[in-house]
Amino acid sequence: MSSASNDRPNPAFYALLGTLIFMAIGPVVLMFVNSFKLDIDIISGTSGLFFLPTIQNYEAALCDVLWYEPEHLDYCAIRFGGAFKNSIIIALISTVLTLVIGCMAAYGITRFRFMGRDTVSFATLAVRMVPPAVLLVPVFGLWNNTFCLDRDGMIGGFIRDTFGGRGDVCLAGTHSGIILIYVAMNLPFVIWILQSFIVQVPRSLEEAARVDGANPFQVFYMVVLPLIKPGLAAAAIFTFRIAWNEYLLASALADRDTKTVPILIVNNTSEFNIEWGVIMATGMLLAIPPIIFTLIASKQIITGMTAGAVKG
Amino acid sequence: MLPVTLISINNGPNAAMPRIQLANLTKSYGDVEVLHGIDLEMADTEFTVLVGPSGCGKSTTLRMIAGLETVTSGEIYMDDQRISHLEPKDRDLAMVFQDYALYPHMNVARNMSFALRLEKRPKAEINAKVAEVAEMLGLTEYLLRKPAELSGGQRQRVAMGRALTRDSATFLFDEPLSNLDAKLRGQMRAELAIMRQKVRKNMIYVTHDQIEAMTLADRIVVMHSGHIQQQGTPQELFMRPVNKFVAGFLGSPPMNFLKAVLESEGGQTVAAGEGFRIALPAELADRARGFVGKEVFFGIRPSDLDFSPDGAEGHCIDLRVAVSEYIGAQSVLICDCAGESVTVEVKSETPIALGETLRFTVRDDGIHLFDCITEGAI
Repeated sequence: MSSASNDRPNPAFYALLGTLIFMAIGPVVLMFVNSFKLDIDIISGTSGLFFLPTIQNYEAALCDVLWYEPEHLDYCAIRFGGAFKNSIIIALISTVLTLVIGCMAAYGITRFRFMGRDTVSFATLAVRMVPPAVLLVPVFGLWNNTFCLDRDGMIGGFIRDTFGGRGDVCLAGTHSGIILIYVAMNLPFVIWILQSFIVQVPRSLEEAARVDGANPFQVFYMVVLPLIKPGLAAAAIFTFRIAWNEYLLASALADRDTKTVPILIVNNTSEFNIEWGVIMATGMLLAIPPIIFTLIASKQIITGMTAGAVKG
Repeated sequence: MLPVTLISINNGPNAAMPRIQLANLTKSYGDVEVLHGIDLEMADTEFTVLVGPSGCGKSTTLRMIAGLETVTSGEIYMDDQRISHLEPKDRDLAMVFQDYALYPHMNVARNMSFALRLEKRPKAEINAKVAEVAEMLGLTEYLLRKPAELSGGQRQRVAMGRALTRDSATFLFDEPLSNLDAKLRGQMRAELAIMRQKVRKNMIYVTHDQIEAMTLADRIVVMHSGHIQQQGTPQELFMRPVNKFVAGFLGSPPMNFLKAVLESEGGQTVAAGEGFRIALPAELADRARGFVGKEVFFGIRPSDLDFSPDGAEGHCIDLRVAVSEYIGAQSVLICDCAGESVTVEVKSETPIALGETLRFTVRDDGIHLFDCITEGAI
C-alpha cells in the first residue's frame, strides 16, 4: 500500500513542484531573455519569445572594458568594469577578513572559559537582530565626520605628499569604509555558525595535538581549522553573497570611484529613461561571480569531516 | 585515610627513564574534591596500571600527569623535577586516548608523524621512524589511508603507533581497549603485552577492566572514590587484598562476602554465620584474636570452594544451587546460603542439579576476613 503510493506521488505534488520551479527560475529566465532584447521590444510587451537577439545591451554595459567602440553608443555612460572591480575587491576582502576574525572568535568563545563568555556569545546574535537601515544614519555620520584623517596629521600628510589631493580622508567613500561595515555586519552570523562546527570537533583531538607538542595556535591551524572547513565554506558563501548584493549601506557610503555593481544598476535609471535592456544585462553579469564563488566554495562542504577521528 | 603500601622496586642496570612520582596530589572541580591526596611512586620502565570503577579518579590522575588537567594541590615529579606547571608538550610523554583521537584529515603516516613534524625533524628520519613503527604494528600497507577507512582495531593500532613514533620516556594509556569488541580486545591485550617487552619505557595505563590490569601490570594501583586503595604486583593484590573493596574488585567472578561472628570453640576460632561454621586456620586465627565475639566479613573466592560431598564438618559450607552458568570447561554456580548469594566455580563435569544442596570444602588459604566497620583486612 504505502510503497505503491510512494511510487506514484499525487499529481498535486507535481503541480506544486512546477509552481515552485517556475517561481524560482521564471524571473531569471525573464531577465536572461530580456537582456538580449532592445528596449523597444521589452516595453512593447507584445513580442514574447519572438524577437531578434542582440548583444547591444551587453555592449552598453561593458563599454568601458570592450576593446572596440560599439557603433550604437556615442558615449560610455555605464562604467561596469570599474564597479565590478570595486564589488570584487570589497566582497572578497570583507569575506576573508570576516572568516579570519570569525573563526578565531568562535574558537575562543567555544573553547576557552573567560568572564562574560555567555554574554559575548549572546551579544553576537543580538547585533545580528539590528536591521541595517537602523545602522545607516549613524554609520553615515561617523564614517563622514568622525573617522577621518586630519589633513595636517602624519598619515594625512603622507597621503597628500604621496598621492596628491587634499589629504584629509574619511572612511566614507573608501573601499575600507565599506569593507569595515560589511565585516561588522557579517561577523556575528559567521561566529554563530562556526561555533556549532567547532563544538563538533572532539576535544580529545585537541588534547592529542597538545600532547604531541602543538602550541595553541598550531592546535587551531593544524587540527581544528581543517576540520571546520565545511563550516568555513558555508560561512564564506553566505558572507560573500551578502557583501556582493548589499545595496543600502553601499549606496550611502560609496562615492563615484568606489561604487559597487548594485549601485551602478540603480543609478542607471533616471526620471526620463529607464534602460531596461541594459539593466537586465548588468543583472546577468552581476549574477556570475556569486555563482562561480558558490561552486568553488561548496566543493569544500563535505559532510563527515570528522569521521574516523574518534569512536562512539 | 586508607592504608597505602609503598613498595620500592630496585632500578635495573639499564635504567634511563625518569621516575614519575605523585606527591599528595589533589584535584577539585569547584567545591568538589575528586582526588584526595594521591601518593604514588613509579619505578622506571615499570608498567603501572591504574584500575578502579568509573568515577574513581584514575583518568583524572592520568590526565594530570599528561598535563591536560591542572593540579589543584600537590606536585608531580619526574626524576625530582617538578613538572605540574609544564605544558603537555614539555613533559616528554606520549598518550593513547580512549577514543583514539586520530586526526581525521591526515592519513595514517601523517597521523603517526605529526609530533615529529612539529619538532621539525629531518624528513628522512621521520620516514624511517614511521616505517619502523608501522612495520612493528603491521600497519605498513595502511599508511596512506585515512582513519575513516580503517577498522576499529586498526585505528587503535594507529593511535598506539602515533605514541610509539615519538621516543618519549613515558607512555600514557587512557582505557585504550575499551572501545573494542571482546575478541579484538583480547587480541590487542596480547599485542600490548608483546609490545611491552620490546619497548622498555615508563607506561601508565588506566582501565576499569581488572583482567587487563592483572595481565599487563608490573604494578597495579587500585583506586576508589579518589583514594588509592592498594598498590602492588597483581599477585600481591590478588592474594593479600588490604580491604574489602580491593578483594571484591579483583578476581572474576568476584569474591563472596558473608557476614559472620568469630567464636572461640575448644581452642579453635570459628567463623559462624547463617548456614555455616568454618574453623579458621591457625595463622589467621592468631591475627583475628582481637575480633573474637565481633562481626566480620568472611570472604572467599569462587575458585577457593571445592565440591566435596563428604567433606569434614567445620571446613565445609552447604549451598543450594540456584543457577548454573556453563562457560566451557568451568561452570559458575550461583548458590544460596541462608538468603545470601554465593558464587562457586566448579569443573563443568561436576554432577550437579539445580535446587540441590551441595557441600563445598573451603580452602584454608582462601579465607579472607574483613573488619565490618573499617572494611580493612584482618
